[in-house]
Amino acid sequence: MSLDIIIELEDLAKYYTIGGEVIKALDGVNLEIGRGEYLSIVGPSGSGKTTLFNLIGGLDRPTRGRVYIDGVDISRLDAYELAWLRCRKIGYIFQTFNLIPVLTALENVALPTVFAGVPRDEGLRKAEKLLTSVGLGDRLHHKPSELSAGQQQRVAIARAMANDPEIILADEPTGNLDLNTGMEIISLLQGLNKTRGMTLISATHDLKMIKASDRIVYIRDGRIERIERG
Amino acid sequence: MASIALSISFFVTLASLDTFQQSAGFPGALSTESYHYWMMTVALIVSIVCITNTMLIAVYERYREIGTMKCLGALDRHILMLFLSEAIIEGFIGGAAGLIFGLSLTSIYTVITSGFGALLSAPGHKLLALSLGSILLSLCLSLGGVLYPAYKASRLPPVEALRFEP
Ligand SMILES: Nc1ncnc2c1ncn2[C@@H]1O[C@H](COP(=O)(O)OP(=O)(O)OP(=O)(O)O)[C@@H](O)[C@H]1O
Ligand SMILES: [Mg+2]
Repeated sequence: MSLDIIIELEDLAKYYTIGGEVIKALDGVNLEIGRGEYLSIVGPSGSGKTTLFNLIGGLDRPTRGRVYIDGVDISRLDAYELAWLRCRKIGYIFQTFNLIPVLTALENVALPTVFAGVPRDEGLRKAEKLLTSVGLGDRLHHKPSELSAGQQQRVAIARAMANDPEIILADEPTGNLDLNTGMEIISLLQGLNKTRGMTLISATHDLKMIKASDRIVYIRDGRIERIERG
Repeated sequence: MASIALSISFFVTLASLDTFQQSAGFPGALSTESYHYWMMTVALIVSIVCITNTMLIAVYERYREIGTMKCLGALDRHILMLFLSEAIIEGFIGGAAGLIFGLSLTSIYTVITSGFGALLSAPGHKLLALSLGSILLSLCLSLGGVLYPAYKASRLPPVEALRFEP
């Protein structure tokens, strides 16, 4: 059974102290996430979703508790190993797309392959394939500013997959998109989850995203309120 | 980039003025040299400060980009390399622009004060050395100026960089 668990959170907590006051952004989260699972995380603004993602992605260190990825406690990894984790194992998708404005769509998607030490030609070829697979084969040399919001998020999704990660962390991926564009992004992500078997974890307010997922985790004030099957 | 170009053009103006004046046969040219060195030193210090300041602002504006790149698996050294290579490119372009500007300025000045002859009789090898020297100087200046900002950028914690709203 434990073989199928890709991420395990153990009493995970993150506190911030601001002006002597302690803010409990996360306060004791226990959760096991299965390989290939599509998990939605739902909670009001400030409930700790982004904080949780940052801890899973190894971007931040918890105040207490552990994150295990493939059985490895990531707090034991050094900066180099954490970068490796973010580079190869995890793909990150942001609400605000976060594309690099001076780079073309193709270069944006190829960027993580540079960090992975993949040869330039190979990285660009991979990027072109990924962009084609998200329906942007004819927009390779466009800058982000020349693309619509939905197209920018597609580029970001292609970029997140550049190094074939096993886990996709999507923090409100449809938050800045209109209804129809959001739907397209959701089905794109869902397709990746189903066809490639990627573990998809998404923070969302979007009912359509929630419905499509295997499990829904409701969080409030940094704690898990309840978990539902989708 | 503009600050590099400006300081290099200032430097070139001073240095080439000397060359041209010597070729025009001004006896006083040599005696002004120590004064010129002073001016150059000041120009160098000013430009280092300018470049560092410009680069710090550039880094600040790109906090989120840096955070994103770290999220995508960039190591500190990738960020460092990014800023250093940008500095090399900017140093080269800025240096070339400053060189052209400075040389034109002194050429015009020499033609007005001493006529075309002085310009033509200026020793070519000296001008070449001056050109190469000033581009090299420009590269050193921009690399020197970017070191601290680039180091700072590369050490940014990813979460803080991502949360940043300009
Ligand atoms: N760097 C920080 N310093 C201080 N407090 C922070 C920091 N980061 C997050 N917090 C606080 O932690 C809590 C959880 O924030 P978080 O960003 O995880 O919420 P969220 O669920 O992602 O909200 P949203 O839906 O608005 O994105 C909030 O109260 C927030 O103010
Ligand atoms: Mg958030």
